[in-house]
Amino acid sequence: MPTINTGDTAWVLMSAALVMLMTPGLALFYGGLVRRKNVLSTIMHSFFILGLVSVTWVLWGYTLAFGPDTGMGLIGGLEWLGLEGITGAPSDVYATTVPHLAFMAFQMMFAIITPALITGAFAERKRFKAFVLFAVAWSTLVYAPIAHWVWSPDGWLFGLGVLDFAGGTVVHLSSGVAALVAALFIGRRSGLLHPATEPHDVPMTVLGAGLLWFGWFGFNAGSALGANGVAATAFVTTNTAAAMGAITWVTLSWLHRGTPSVLGAALGAVAGLVAITPAAGFVTPAAAIIIGLGVGVVCYGAAQLRLRARVDDALDVFAVHGVGGAFGALATGIFATTAVNAAGLDGLLAGNAAQLLTQLFAVGVVALYSAVVTAGILFIINLAVPIRVAAPAEEAGLDMAQHGEIAYQP
Amino acid sequence: MAIAALICFAILLIAWMVAPDASATGEASPVFEAELAPAA
Repeated sequence: MPTINTGDTAWVLMSAALVMLMTPGLALFYGGLVRRKNVLSTIMHSFFILGLVSVTWVLWGYTLAFGPDTGMGLIGGLEWLGLEGITGAPSDVYATTVPHLAFMAFQMMFAIITPALITGAFAERKRFKAFVLFAVAWSTLVYAPIAHWVWSPDGWLFGLGVLDFAGGTVVHLSSGVAALVAALFIGRRSGLLHPATEPHDVPMTVLGAGLLWFGWFGFNAGSALGANGVAATAFVTTNTAAAMGAITWVTLSWLHRGTPSVLGAALGAVAGLVAITPAAGFVTPAAAIIIGLGVGVVCYGAAQLRLRARVDDALDVFAVHGVGGAFGALATGIFATTAVNAAGLDGLLAGNAAQLLTQLFAVGVVALYSAVVTAGILFIINLAVPIRVAAPAEEAGLDMAQHGEIAYQP
Repeated sequence: MAIAALICFAILLIAWMVAPDASATGEASPVFEAELAPAA
């Protein structure tokens, strides 16, 4: 009989609030990276999703992702439409020591930030109306099914033994791949003086990265779904990987460009946070150092490749979240150990090489599904509402052309 | 109650679909024009 534990409940509710703060943090992180004529439109993407997905999650998102399975482990049923029957009593299945509504709220914050991550790819050129339709469709058709596959006890990837502590595949890989597809679909920005992004406010981006780092303690340590030792482990591994990612990226930029990049510190921290997400409650702090180093190198390389590629993933969503998410999922298959979390599984280094193959399979499936369905959504929406703004609007900046407002007075 | 809530959201969704989008035709929004007019 599930019984509410007040300590667990307090931690999960607090963690939900921490994760909520990540989306405004992401708005600042992305907002600082774009040109000053597009800062409001970029911030609006994240902030509007905070409202939009909060509502769709209550209406149908939660039941599709976590509702009783409809068969084959692909999607939840509609029994919990509009949160029907979800109360302050604990669930029999999820987080059985906290109110079911608390677990639902915690998961809601994940559902909110995931489509917001994608917005960095089409920043500075996406029509707002098309963005709204995309966010609703993507969170319903991509996020909810993948969350069900991986996190529902009836999900088919869960049944295969895939380890994803807080969303390396569900959140970061799915959004990162979707970002790459969106960037390919919408095309390159016009009027860039340099193929790299032109950040108009690096302090804004660093502030956003700080808020993301802070909120990530809720994201990862909160995913223990209790105030316990696994939460403490996830807290420490999260901070350690973020720190290692930051100092690794700075070191690489220092060696490569001759200067230790401030922006690189922010990007590296986020890359470290992304990579430790699937592993946080399954690995040791020492492993988190190796994961942070590895993802710093891999994502720095991916970002450099992006500069040379024709695809204009404006804010490096694929390089950081797609590549970092895949790297973290695979690293989980290498470093996971039941010595850290008895409820988990051993990875390669603990003698279970098959876990790495399972993780590799999950990465492939999630990436493929996200890519195909995202492309379909973009294609269909583009038939009804052109996804890209007209050239004069893009030239003038989306703040004025789409929102009729400007961020800074001349 | 869930159906009533869904209808509330559907009303907003319809509103977003019919809401004006000046840049769809490449034209600027009224505010955009007002801001640019002095400069022009």
